[in-house]
Amino acid sequence: MTDAWGQFKSFDGKKFKAMDAEFTRGASNLIGGKDLTACFQCAKCSAGCPVSDKVNIQIHEVMRMLLFGLKEVLETDMVWLCTTCYTCQERCPQGIEITDILFGLKNMAFKKRIAPPGYSGARQSLYDKGRLYEPTDWERDDLGLDPVPVLNIEDTKRMLKKTGLMKLEEDV
Amino acid sequence: MTQSYEVFLGCAIPSRFNNYESSMRAVAKNLDIELIDFEGASCCGTVVLKSIDENSWLSMSGRNIALAEQRGHDIVTPCNGCFGSLKDTSHVLHNNAACRKKVNAVLKPLGLEYTGKATIRHFVEVLYDMRGEIEEKIVRRLDGLRVAFHPGCHLIRPSSVAGFDDPELPRKVDELIEITGAKCVHWDMKLRCCGSPLLIASESVALKILKEKMISANGAGANCVVTNCPACQTQFDIQQIGLKDEAGNSLELPALFVTQVLGTALGIDAEPLGFELNRVSLNPIRDILGI
Repeated sequence: MTDAWGQFKSFDGKKFKAMDAEFTRGASNLIGGKDLTACFQCAKCSAGCPVSDKVNIQIHEVMRMLLFGLKEVLETDMVWLCTTCYTCQERCPQGIEITDILFGLKNMAFKKRIAPPGYSGARQSLYDKGRLYEPTDWERDDLGLDPVPVLNIEDTKRMLKKTGLMKLEEDV
Repeated sequence: MTQSYEVFLGCAIPSRFNNYESSMRAVAKNLDIELIDFEGASCCGTVVLKSIDENSWLSMSGRNIALAEQRGHDIVTPCNGCFGSLKDTSHVLHNNAACRKKVNAVLKPLGLEYTGKATIRHFVEVLYDMRGEIEEKIVRRLDGLRVAFHPGCHLIRPSSVAGFDDPELPRKVDELIEITGAKCVHWDMKLRCCGSPLLIASESVALKILKEKMISANGAGANCVVTNCPACQTQFDIQQIGLKDEAGNSLELPALFVTQVLGTALGIDAEPLGFELNRVSLNPIRDILGI
C-alpha cells in the first residue's frame, strides 16, 4: 500500500451503501465518456499503465467503480497519480477514452476539494499571470533571445472570470 | 519555399530551458524556416488546467489558437505539452459542437473566434519533413553518440489527436537523429512517460518512474538521453541530477534537446545551441559533440 495520495486505499472490508446510476450517467457525459459502459474488464489499461505498481487502486478498477456508480472513486489515488500518458486510451480494445475520462474525474474531485495542494497554486498563477512560470530574463539576455512577447493579462482574466475558474468549489 | 509559422513557446521553455529555444531558432535559421513571434500568447493550459477545469482549459488554449488564426498563420511548437494541449483543444472543438459554442461565447468579447483553420505542428514534425535537406547539410558526424531517445507522451498519444508517428513503434525522430551518425539504442522503457506531470501531485512517484527509465537507458548502453519537450527535460536534466540505483551506482546520463544534436551536426556554433545551460554534466560526450 502506498501513501503518496488519496484516502480510498483498498476494497478490503469495504461495504458500499448504494450504486448510484446517476453518477455513472454523469461520468458517461464527460468528454471522452461516451463509451464508458463498453468496458469488459480486460485490464489491458492497467497492464500498460506506468503507475499500476505505484497506486492502491488501478485504472481498470477505477473503470469498474464508475460502472458501479461508486462515488468513492474520486478519493482513489489513481485519479491524481495518472501521468496523463494516454497509453491506456491508445490500447483500449473497446476504444474507451480512458485518460480523457480521468481528466473529467479530476475536475469533479477538484470541485470537492479532493486535489493535491499544488493544483490550487497553479490555478492562482494561471489566473493572475496567464502563465505557470515566468521567463528567466538573464538567461535569455546571455543567449541573445528577444523578450517573450507581452501578454495582456486582462484578456485572459476576463475570460477565466467568465468560465468561473476561481469559483469551482461546490461549497463556495 | 520558405515555411513560416508562429512559434508557440509556452511557459516552461522561457523559464527553464532557454537553450531549447535558442537551439531551435538556430536550426530553423539554418534550414530557412521562418519563426514569427507569437504575440499575446498565454500558457497553453496544459494537463494542469485540463485537470482543474476543462472549460477553462479549452477557452485558454482556444484563445491562443484563435489569435494565430486571426493573423492567418499556422502554429509550430517545440513543446510536447503545448502540442498536446493545442491539438487536443482543436480535436475537441472540432468534434464537439457544444464545447465549441461555449468557448466561442467566451472568446467573442475578446474579438476572437475559433475556426479551426490553423495547422498545429510540433517542431520535430517540420524537421522530419525536411530530413532530406538536413542530410545534405550535415557537416559534423556524431559517430559514437548512443542516444536513448525519449519521444514523450503527447507527441504520439493519443494517436487520433497527435497524428504524427506510430504510437507503439515511433521511429521518425530516431530516424532524424540517426542522420547525424548517432545511433538510437533500443530501450525497454522508451515509450514510458517520464513522470514529469506527477511533480505537482507526488514528487516521490515521479522520481520512481524516472529511475525506472534511467535504469533502462543505462542498461541499453546509451551515453545520453535526447528529448523534444521541456517537461520531459525537467525530469532528465533537473530531477535526474545525482540519481543513483539501489546499489548506489550513478544513473546520470547527459540530457540533450534534439535541436542541440541536429544543430551540432549542422555545424552551428556551440554558443547559440546553449550547452552551457545543460545541467547534467556533458563531459562523457564532449569529444563527440566537439564542445
